[in-house]
Amino acid sequence: MGKQELQPLIEALLEGDTSEASAQVRALLGSGISVERIVSDGVEAAMSSLDAKCTLEQFNLLEIMLVGRAVMKVMNELFPGVADHSVPGLKDTVVIAALEGDIHDLGKNILKMVLTGNGYRVVDCGRDCSLQRLMDTVEREMPVAVGISGLISPVIPLVRRIRPLLKERGLDHVKVIAGGAALKQSSRENLDVDFVAESAFDGAHYIADIGGRNS
Amino acid sequence: MNSLERVVAAVRFEEPDRVPVIPQVFGHAGVMAGVPIDEYVRDGGLIAACQMKILETYGHDAVFSVMDANVETEALGSDLDYRKGQYPVVRNYAVTKDRAGHIDFGAIFGKGAPDPERAGRMPEMLKALRIMRRELRDEVLVVGCVTGPLTLASQLLGPEETLYLAIDDPAGLERLIDFAADVVIRFGVAQIQAGAHLPVVFDPFASPAVIPASFFREFALPRLRKTCEAFRQAGAPANWLHIAGPVQDILSFYPQAGIDIANFDYCVSAQEAKTRLEHTCLDGNVKSLSFVEGEPGDIKAEASALLRSFAGHRGFILSSGCEIPPESKQENISALVEISRNRE
Repeated sequence: MGKQELQPLIEALLEGDTSEASAQVRALLGSGISVERIVSDGVEAAMSSLDAKCTLEQFNLLEIMLVGRAVMKVMNELFPGVADHSVPGLKDTVVIAALEGDIHDLGKNILKMVLTGNGYRVVDCGRDCSLQRLMDTVEREMPVAVGISGLISPVIPLVRRIRPLLKERGLDHVKVIAGGAALKQSSRENLDVDFVAESAFDGAHYIADIGGRNS
Repeated sequence: MNSLERVVAAVRFEEPDRVPVIPQVFGHAGVMAGVPIDEYVRDGGLIAACQMKILETYGHDAVFSVMDANVETEALGSDLDYRKGQYPVVRNYAVTKDRAGHIDFGAIFGKGAPDPERAGRMPEMLKALRIMRRELRDEVLVVGCVTGPLTLASQLLGPEETLYLAIDDPAGLERLIDFAADVVIRFGVAQIQAGAHLPVVFDPFASPAVIPASFFREFALPRLRKTCEAFRQAGAPANWLHIAGPVQDILSFYPQAGIDIANFDYCVSAQEAKTRLEHTCLDGNVKSLSFVEGEPGDIKAEASALLRSFAGHRGFILSSGCEIPPESKQENISALVEISRNRE
């Protein structure tokens, strides 16, 4: 079977048409195409196409959200019965959070959509997440990376504590990525993180580049 | 020239005695006075006292009765979470979906625009304005604050739902923004009547960091135009729009909305802002986080470069690109003000 039969799914996803994308997934599953292929050649292909369109100069959050909403719906069709905070994927795990005191989670949710669309398993600690809960989640889920989105500057001291806390638990191989309006004004050194992402796609590229087990 | 005259001269592209300097200090005023932010944003008397005190400390050109971006949505029924030492955040939005996913606009529209003398924290904002205007008369610019209509819509429904609504039910979103504009206008006019020279229109959701420029033109611009017109009729000498982020692609729309002072953030260069808004006074754009992480020398270097860039331009107010974070270093804000004052 060629990739052509996945093209209608890709188009539906890129148009943000959740109903059509769901219908396409059901049809593909019915014709015997595996979940793995639908994710890699359908969902990831759509996300890759969106990625190519979204440069830093032409970053259309609305378009990303619409595609992201369709992607999340499709992933729920492919992996039914899984809680929203832990979206399954075929690649490595990434833990994401907005830290304590920061309830702005639009950026985090965009990152979740982009990573999910790229086939990663995403564990979402939600917003207003304590460092204790974040560390417990990292220890339990063993991700390749932790993604922190921060809109407000008071979370910066918390971000700086992540790497020392990971080290205390013997988890210093886990990469720390920061993004969001406040954090991206700072630097990798000031935040004591591995990478400061300009956008969700920038973060996803970094995770792909660090070459985790299945990136 | 006094501060008000200086700002008005900059708005009119006349020659001010020096470049006006307005660090955007809101909650920082409370922090400096030892007042936790959660108390600061609920007490107009405290806001006025703290703003007057930092005016003495820094000697800048404006005071603000600014709480946070949730004043209007709280007055309309959104439930806020107040935590010690932090700005409040929305816990539950006033507009919700039913189980079938339908949005019940009737409930919110039925409430009408709240009475600023009675609803939520609005009376406290008015109280701060009355005190500061009584004390400062027309010596210093007294600034109130409203959220932009589109931002208020997002604060009533939640940001993600608002974006989805633009696609799923654009007519519904238009009705919600129209309602929000009525709320904003009533609140802003009440602020002018209470003593504000003008309310700054704080519109973060209208930033191209969130919505495309075409979406700004379609949804935000007509309501901003209506809002600015209402404020001008109520006596505001200028309309000040505050949108942070990469605003390059929407700047050219500002004159159509009646904007006289346009905020620009660190991600837009002075040259680009000047080119796109040749006849509109600009305020910006020292990076906000520099006031926390930088040193006075960094601030002075950045501010001096800005002043050089705007030399001879006249329509410029030296400022930060966004709010100066509450935890900023006092000496950094002093450095910003000194740069302008030393060129008197």
